[in-house]
Amino acid sequence: MSYQPFHITQLWGGTMIRILFVALLCLIWVQASGAKEATHQHYIYNPGLLKPIDSTLKVKVGQVAPDFSLRAVSGKDIQLSSYKGKSGVVLSFVPAAWTPVCSDQWPGYNISKTLFQEHGATLLGITVDNIPTLHAWINQMGTLWFDVLSDFWPHGQVADKYGLLRGDGTAERALIFIDRDGVIRDITVNDINKRPALEDIIASLNKLDS
Amino acid sequence: MLLGTVVSNSIAAEQLPDIELIVPEQQVDREYLGLTGASGEKFTLADIKADILVVELFSMYCPFCQEEAPRVNELYERLQELEEHRGIVVRMIGLGASNSAYEVEHFKKTYQVKFPMFPDKDLSMYDKFKGGGTPEFIGCVLKPAGESLIVLRNSGGFDSAAEFMNELITKGGY
Repeated sequence: MSYQPFHITQLWGGTMIRILFVALLCLIWVQASGAKEATHQHYIYNPGLLKPIDSTLKVKVGQVAPDFSLRAVSGKDIQLSSYKGKSGVVLSFVPAAWTPVCSDQWPGYNISKTLFQEHGATLLGITVDNIPTLHAWINQMGTLWFDVLSDFWPHGQVADKYGLLRGDGTAERALIFIDRDGVIRDITVNDINKRPALEDIIASLNKLDS
Repeated sequence: MLLGTVVSNSIAAEQLPDIELIVPEQQVDREYLGLTGASGEKFTLADIKADILVVELFSMYCPFCQEEAPRVNELYERLQELEEHRGIVVRMIGLGASNSAYEVEHFKKTYQVKFPMFPDKDLSMYDKFKGGGTPEFIGCVLKPAGESLIVLRNSGGFDSAAEFMNELITKGGY
């Protein structure tokens, strides 16, 4: 069997590239009909090393988060302002479905539900992909406990409203922490090639408590 | 498209890589590995007191590692029984590929993993083991300095903890 991602890793060299592809390597295996079998690793597209950040933020800490309504993969229409007075919200923007780092970011959050709940926060995932693409992508992660929203049309409108739409039409890898009053308490726009560390997310969640 | 079944095979005379880790904070972990050094000091894999060592390359973010966790815990329990009944000492450790210490601890707590797990944030250990994806299980026979050998690699996980254990001890020469 040929492990294409591993070959790419060897050719490019460098720790950063290796980290980028660990997620891809993880996706070699799937559970099928009760038996583990290899699946086609080329389902995951290799975008290569990208410009770390390719947009300019339009929001800042302390302001009310711009409202929006987007359709979730579950079929629900979700309006941000509907959470006001009920719970905090964490918006997790990721660049695109079927890419390496994104594909192993949300599975980590999937075993971290209590960490978000402890801070009274609702997690919402957002990408610029359409619903059918998101449906296929998140189903191969297992069953996610949080809603995933499609910012597909008008394309990337919400990402653009927050200043997170990149020049190629994908979104930044960003987290927006919004308190129960609808006010932004923290913003992290990561290098698109790197996954944000869980402990940094906890530090930002702590800011929702004060 | 499905390409084949899980990879599990013996390795011809591959030496255990020279890997340095930090002695765990928890006494139960130090005792499990037979380490005499104090918490925070360094040790190498060759310092672990066991007949066979199983290394799991995993990631907190890998859904297949998450799915495998209950079977891995079952393997740990079976290996404890093996020691009681046959005196063969097999120890397990986990190396969290590109994971921070916090992320490794979160995985350990979530799945109530009883064996020690260590962060491998920069993938240096993953590289030394020539990791081919996560999860991957590597069985090593521990011998005096420089003679420890890797005898088994399993990429992708196992369907049966009992069968994996039997394969491990057979290839380990027991």
